[in-house]
Amino acid sequence: MPPRPVIVGAGRTKFGEHYEKQPERLIEEAWLRASEDAGLERKDLEACYLSDYFLLLTNKLGLEEGFLSELTELHVPMSFTRSFSSAFADACNAIQAGKYDVILVGGIEKMTDRWDKIRDDLMLLGDPWSYYAGGTPESSHELMLRAYIKQHGITGDNLEKLNVALAQISVKNHLHALKNEYAQFQRKITVEQVLEARRSARRPLGLYDFAPISDGAAAVIIASEEVGRKLTDKPVYVLASASATDYLSYHAREDLTGFVATRLAMQRALETAGIRLWDIQLLEVYDQSTLMEMISLEDLGFCKRGEAWKAIFMSCRDYKGYYEINGRKLFVNMNGGLKADGNPLGATGGAQIYEVYKQLRGEAGDRQVKGDGEIRFGGVVELEGFGTKSHVHILGGFR
Amino acid sequence: MSSEPVERRVSYMGDRLRGRRCQICGKEYFEIRDYCGNCGRKSFGKMENIDFFYEKGRLELCTLVNEPTNKFVKFGNYIYGVVSFHNGKIKVPGRLTDRIIGDKEAVDFSALEGREVVPRFRRRYSVGRSEIIPTISLAFTFADEYYPHQEYRVVAPKKEYDKPGIVGYGVYTSRFRIRENNMERAVPFIDEDAITAAVEAGKLALIHSGVDSMLIGKIYVGSESNPYAVKPIASKVAQVLRLGEEDEDVQCVDAVDTEFACKAATSMFKDAAALVSHPKFSIPYAMVIGADNSQAAPRDCPGGELDLFVGFGGCAFIFGKNDVVAEIEGWCSCTSDTPDFWRRDGEPYPMHGGRYTGDPAYFKHVRKAARKLMEQLNLKPGDINYFVAHQPNAYFPVRIAKELGFSEEQYLPSLQVAKFGNTYSGSSPIGLAAVLDIAKPDERILMVSYGSGAGSDAYSFITTSQIIEKRGCQKISVKYLAENPFLEYVDYQTYRRLKAGL
Repeated sequence: MPPRPVIVGAGRTKFGEHYEKQPERLIEEAWLRASEDAGLERKDLEACYLSDYFLLLTNKLGLEEGFLSELTELHVPMSFTRSFSSAFADACNAIQAGKYDVILVGGIEKMTDRWDKIRDDLMLLGDPWSYYAGGTPESSHELMLRAYIKQHGITGDNLEKLNVALAQISVKNHLHALKNEYAQFQRKITVEQVLEARRSARRPLGLYDFAPISDGAAAVIIASEEVGRKLTDKPVYVLASASATDYLSYHAREDLTGFVATRLAMQRALETAGIRLWDIQLLEVYDQSTLMEMISLEDLGFCKRGEAWKAIFMSCRDYKGYYEINGRKLFVNMNGGLKADGNPLGATGGAQIYEVYKQLRGEAGDRQVKGDGEIRFGGVVELEGFGTKSHVHILGGFR
Repeated sequence: MSSEPVERRVSYMGDRLRGRRCQICGKEYFEIRDYCGNCGRKSFGKMENIDFFYEKGRLELCTLVNEPTNKFVKFGNYIYGVVSFHNGKIKVPGRLTDRIIGDKEAVDFSALEGREVVPRFRRRYSVGRSEIIPTISLAFTFADEYYPHQEYRVVAPKKEYDKPGIVGYGVYTSRFRIRENNMERAVPFIDEDAITAAVEAGKLALIHSGVDSMLIGKIYVGSESNPYAVKPIASKVAQVLRLGEEDEDVQCVDAVDTEFACKAATSMFKDAAALVSHPKFSIPYAMVIGADNSQAAPRDCPGGELDLFVGFGGCAFIFGKNDVVAEIEGWCSCTSDTPDFWRRDGEPYPMHGGRYTGDPAYFKHVRKAARKLMEQLNLKPGDINYFVAHQPNAYFPVRIAKELGFSEEQYLPSLQVAKFGNTYSGSSPIGLAAVLDIAKPDERILMVSYGSGAGSDAYSFITTSQIIEKRGCQKISVKYLAENPFLEYVDYQTYRRLKAGL
């Protein structure tokens, strides 16, 4: 049997605006916390798999390996990918191949420096045809919502409930972030605020429906099971790390009401992990917008297509800290999600994995979730672009 | 940025919406693909070109963009969404153009979704003044509004004439107007300019004529508001309208821009006619377009007096010897070096040369050209059914018409300046088109253009019987443009903003 990858440490920075910090300072901070968590020194690292979406563009930093080598005084192999999940998946593959025993996976992004141009960059890189036609990062989400409403024939009272359910997602995520010291927004908001922002924008989604742009870094240290068990008595297993892809252009896809890449990645991940869907009770989804959180519940299979809003609406009327779906509890975005925790692209997946890792080890502090029984499995979904690539990781507790 | 390969690629496919269809499974792509994703290698060489430039699409989904990306800021608020063609086989992103949406205006998306739209050729977004102007046809307007959807049907010619003449024509002006001093003037939308107007006019002329665009051997575009000092409008028109035979990325057509103030286009009528008549050259058709986003300085600046008269529009004529609607009977041109009006290179607005405007310029040259042609053809005012003059304002053409002995019945039908403003190179051509819209067979039209600097071209046309049958091929007549219920009137500030463009 090939070596199994386990997570032995994780660390991150606060997400938000870090004018004063160079990108390398942010990744240093995250790495130091992760190494402390794992009880490792830099000389123990055999390789680094790192990610940033577009430091090349935002901070004019190319050949990131070079500055990290200088910073860490390491000469180990390093490689860069576009998302934390890609780096994470590559590192897991390397462990499974028996190539390395201890790897640093890191992610970093510094977006706020380029505040004035960032939406052009995001659009042009993510979906150039839409950009040329006048699309914005927000408009794809809004068009998907329009498509969803039409496809499922949602009108009248139901439409109102759908709109409130989406607002509740934002409110819930802000609530979760109150207990997350690293979160970008640690404040409560109300459903009325979310709705009012949409009214004043005159659009289907408003300010409070969208994740912010952020600076930040995250790091996890993964090891082979054999080495990992020596480092910690609470390793978190990476049971599956799967991904799938879809067209760059949203409009060209056959299905405009969801992400086929997430559906495929989830199928593969469940097969690899050898567990059933509802074995997962803890989930970090990629809520670039409130709509994306709702759609993810459907794409992952927790809700039927066209119905996630009902479960969300019912769960959030008197929110108990989880969604209740067909009598089962699902803890979603306990760190506040991208909405409130923040979304520094290359680091976001790291924060998601960090959260599930901490929860599974019982180290999430005030945020620690309590299921009816033991929570053994957690899922992470990270997207690249507007559903162009989807990664699903399934992590399992240390037993 | 604009010289980057990606920009060029977008212009190639996006200026004229086209793609490929797999002949095995029928899958369509908004993309020039050499093989189909479904069928793989076996489809190589079996992908046919498809083109939806003249087609109708459907707005499937839409939302409001009121916080656009940087390059779209000048658009203000706009509707953006997904447009489908061929029953959803192809879906493209699109912006609705020709709509001014107020900062407080609520938009009901469900009332817009599901409606049919027509692709329009427009500027893509703002760029710096030194950059290439990006254009695209992923801009749409509703098919049941100002600009109706029209099919482009190529018709086999029925009759060859002895003399060359006008085979088809098209007039384009925008949806927006400013109303001042008993005049209505066409105002371009913010993504329009002389280039987009020329393309639109040419497109409408192709639709009206039924001429195969591949058979057009030469395209002349006359304008005095080309946004480029160096780079022709005609090349864009040729590429977007696929004039001449297409060979890989190249149109086998001669394309050239001409300049002589407001007579830049009319000057080329005779050249086009001569070219299609030459017995040794096999050029069946030539196209001449006059198009302008007529420029004027703001009212409080030198040259600002023009700001009360300038319009926007274009007019295209296809010349040939088959299925002619109006034969050229004769022509006469005259020129003198007169400093009545000019624009120095690099200056945004033209200037008037004080006392040289009027008598020493317009009247002298229009009178000379008209009289000389009438003498040559031995014509009296009574032999002429319609008189068309260049129309810088409502006063000049009336005064010269009266002086030459024409009555209201002869000159009023061509008088369009009070509906569209002075469209510079498009001015007398639009007057001619207005007459062709209503003329009966075997009527004589005398047209005299005027270009500052200065000169005039006089032409005598005689209509044929085919003028009636071809009229049914064009919904967008001059009257349709002038009396359209979807016109939108704007205030002075909006007019200046739209005219300045992206």
